[in-house]
Amino acid sequence: MSVDLAHPPPNTTPETAVHISQLAPKYIKRATSSLPWPLSVFSRDDPPEVWAAYETLFLECLRTGDDRSARAILDRLLARFGDKNERVMGYQCMLEEALASNDKDLESVLKIANEILGSDEANVPVQKRRVAVLKSLNRIPEAIKRLTELLDMSPTDAESWAELSDLYLSQGMSDQAIFCLEELLIVQPNAWNMHAKIGEILYASVDSSTTNALELARIYSESMRRFLRSIELCENYLRGYYGLHLTAQKLVKLIPDASKASTKDDAYNDVALPTEGTVQALNEMAVDKLGEIVRKGSAKEQGWDGYDTAELQAARELLDQGTAKVDR
Amino acid sequence: MEHSMVQTIYRDPALFYWILIPITVVMVLTGILRHYSSVLLQSMPKKQPKNKIREHRQLIRGANLRVNYESISPSSFRARKAHFETAAKDGSFLAEPENRGKPPPNMMTDPAAMEGMMGMMKGNVANMVSQTLIMGWINAFFSGFVIMKLPFPLTPQFKAMLQAGVGTRDMDVRWVSSVSWYFLTLFGLQPIYNFILGGDNAANQMAQQMAQMNPSAMMGPGQDPDKQFQAEAENLEVLEHKYLLDGIEERILAGWAA
Repeated sequence: MSVDLAHPPPNTTPETAVHISQLAPKYIKRATSSLPWPLSVFSRDDPPEVWAAYETLFLECLRTGDDRSARAILDRLLARFGDKNERVMGYQCMLEEALASNDKDLESVLKIANEILGSDEANVPVQKRRVAVLKSLNRIPEAIKRLTELLDMSPTDAESWAELSDLYLSQGMSDQAIFCLEELLIVQPNAWNMHAKIGEILYASVDSSTTNALELARIYSESMRRFLRSIELCENYLRGYYGLHLTAQKLVKLIPDASKASTKDDAYNDVALPTEGTVQALNEMAVDKLGEIVRKGSAKEQGWDGYDTAELQAARELLDQGTAKVDR
Repeated sequence: MEHSMVQTIYRDPALFYWILIPITVVMVLTGILRHYSSVLLQSMPKKQPKNKIREHRQLIRGANLRVNYESISPSSFRARKAHFETAAKDGSFLAEPENRGKPPPNMMTDPAAMEGMMGMMKGNVANMVSQTLIMGWINAFFSGFVIMKLPFPLTPQFKAMLQAGVGTRDMDVRWVSSVSWYFLTLFGLQPIYNFILGGDNAANQMAQQMAQMNPSAMMGPGQDPDKQFQAEAENLEVLEHKYLLDGIEERILAGWAA
């Protein structure tokens, strides 16, 4: 297994993370051997890739609990970029957070972050660390407040929008969460996973208090369309088909009632409801496609081996439920 | 036949050791020195204050909304458009709301612009000084020598380029004078610097001078952010919203059937 440390893959699996962090001690030792002074003038040993690799190693070491290597790498970064560098300051906070064992330690990290931001409020990495500390301290409302401040200054930061959406969702505020993801889509319009995420939030936002068939049908069809968009952007996206199957099943039952109740003055209806036939056809497509993904994904066929095992399992169970119902 | 006749000049081999090699080595070393001095003189990009960043990014957000509006529903788009337009009208995104409507400050009195110019001046001065010194040194010590012979024939037009400082009319073009060797190394050492110092070095002053040919492109007149916001709001106003999720069922089913 070889990993390009300078350009690490996103969402590394735990196995890859362990593998990368095990490279760290070797990497730290090797990089110290450099030419002596007069000769070092003639060599170039400072390409950006080296430092990008250090960052990757640092993050993976923290993730796998190798705090000593992380400290060594951070010292290297400090020696190179100084302690006034924003990124390095962010990493320093991150390491302190990782070493903190109780709430009191975290409070002191928070105090440090507040001090830094008191003199330099435009320091984005430290601002993000402050939000993370507040989140670990379970002070979600304050975290949300800080994050909205950050996003007011930097509304093109997709990562922060996603984080804010998660925070809102953890507080059960799905409308706000969806707003954040819409903002994210304005920055990154082709993020298929975020389209699916909006679909998921919409689907989950329905609770027992909503009984109006028209309202339910509107939410489910909006959700279904989000899943469809994610499929359109990313063929063979398991979560997309899973969501499509769920929403289509609900819609098949709801649409006959909803279309009777439908009125023309619905200002909030951005798009008309789909017809029953269309939903039916989409449902069949989803079942077909899910079956294909589960089959090929479990067999780890060439080009189909990237699926998460848990997700495949969930899809299989969903399909089994469907067939069980038909048998009855 | 004239060209069958080979011109021979007996040179002291010491010319080779004491002129050709010193010039080459000195040129390489000055290139490296220039690289490191420009690294030293480089002023760190100044950190933007919070409200400037905010102004800039809110403007980008408006532009993003104009480009990627298709991903969000018409009602969400209307809400965002209204928000952006009100803010543009009130000037609440501006870094300095009190300066609204005033003409942009003079370049010469604006400290930020001055700093940029100073940075360029520093680089220029370092360049000029080194160039003058080396050129003077070569001229004083090494002018008037013929130091090497090229292994290939050339047309007489190259005489001016290869035999600068040697005033003989009948000498073969293949002979190279010391001052010309200086110029050749001045222009031709870039690959060597790339090898020693890496791709983006500042060793070659010729390349730098090329880049400074049009300084106007680097420091365009500062645009009034208020006007930019107004223009962006207008762009959003005339936009007709189209929703990507409208008719997506048919699109997907058509793709599925095909």
